[in-house]
Amino acid sequence: MKRKSWLFSAGLLLIASVAAAASVTVITQQAMLRQDKRFFAPVVTRVPYGESLHVLGSEGDWLRVYYQNRNGWIHTGEVKQQKITLSTLTAQGASGTAQDEVALAGKGFTPEVEEAFRKKNPSMQFNLVDKVESFRVSDKTIRAFLERGNLKEPGGA
Amino acid sequence: MSEKIISWLSFAITALLLLPACAEVVQVGTTMGHGAGVITSEQKGSIDRTAIKSERAARPITDREEYYLGRAVAATILGQYRLYLNERTTNYLNRLGNALALASDRPFTYGGYHFAVLDSEEVNALACPGGIVFITRGMLKRAANEEELAAILAHEIAHVNHKDGLAAIKQSRWVEVVATLGGGATREFSGGQLDKLATLFEGSVNDVAKTLIINGYGRKQELVADRSAMIFMHRLGYDPNGLTDYLAKLAGQQETGAGKGLFATHPDMSYRLVKARGFISENNWPRQNHLVRDSRFHRYL
Repeated sequence: MKRKSWLFSAGLLLIASVAAAASVTVITQQAMLRQDKRFFAPVVTRVPYGESLHVLGSEGDWLRVYYQNRNGWIHTGEVKQQKITLSTLTAQGASGTAQDEVALAGKGFTPEVEEAFRKKNPSMQFNLVDKVESFRVSDKTIRAFLERGNLKEPGGA
Repeated sequence: MSEKIISWLSFAITALLLLPACAEVVQVGTTMGHGAGVITSEQKGSIDRTAIKSERAARPITDREEYYLGRAVAATILGQYRLYLNERTTNYLNRLGNALALASDRPFTYGGYHFAVLDSEEVNALACPGGIVFITRGMLKRAANEEELAAILAHEIAHVNHKDGLAAIKQSRWVEVVATLGGGATREFSGGQLDKLATLFEGSVNDVAKTLIINGYGRKQELVADRSAMIFMHRLGYDPNGLTDYLAKLAGQQETGAGKGLFATHPDMSYRLVKARGFISENNWPRQNHLVRDSRFHRYL
């Protein structure tokens, strides 16, 4: 009995560590998969929130990952180590995405909750918030800004 | 100790080790253990219940939830201040702010960092959870150069990094959010659940907005944000003395501006100045010549 129990415990720990180390889930609206482990490296592809990426290796703050037949580098700040769920353990996850996990993680304050809040507070200026969120800067612009100001490029492994 | 107790303990310890990972993993294990006769159905139930309870209590706010809270906080602020839409100023702020954010300890948030100006003569800067940062025209006017403006933005980015806004949410609200959600994995909300969450959401937004606009952060949060701001500036090659120069100016104006904006929410300007100077001295960061950036600053603002 004692031996059986230890075997189960060890098995569980093994499953947990192997499954957790193998994949990560994107936690930003749209993450960038890059050719190199630098903030301004060319973008291989964009990866939407909730997508699962297979980890091939890591260096500093960057992970080398595999996604939809492509390899690239992603910053650790854009992903979260994938938690193990029944669906991932039994390989019933939907098309490579950790959808159940994302549904659980994002089940609290969601777009539906914002919508309900907006209905209760119709005078809230969400249109202006959308406007502020439209202020975006490209990699090229930031890089030029740094260069012209005699500043250093951030990041890198 | 009997063999049965040792078996039970070994299983329980493993299950407890796995609690922070996921309650579902524990359930897989308890099902296996129960099937193999290692634990009884009562023991299985007990471990499962503890795992779910522990996961609910420990569930942190996700970056996506922080984003939605931050949007609503920003909407609340924009109900009290007018947005100043000047393309040149906004572009400059967003280039500077996003460069600093990349040098911060949290270069990415769910919705990214966005910087905007509030059309007010009040001296204030406000960081919403998730990365929307506001600065008033009054505060912008008091910045003498790019180093000082970088210091203001880096300080606000530090508040986002440290999730200081979220810390203002009453713990009881978050416990109630988690309890409202329950343990199921379904994505649909029931009507009652959605109403309850919307009310809790509103309360949380008010907690954060009240702290940003009226009460201000605690002294420790401000000192830590100053320290981080100087580190982020230094990483990019900015002169961290930009922070002390700006703080010195504000400390001198604190008397006349008392009771309004930043002067009301940030009462210890002189103390922050002393601490910031001490940090620069500890790191032997010399004063820099930043004529190129000064000239850029004056072209944009």
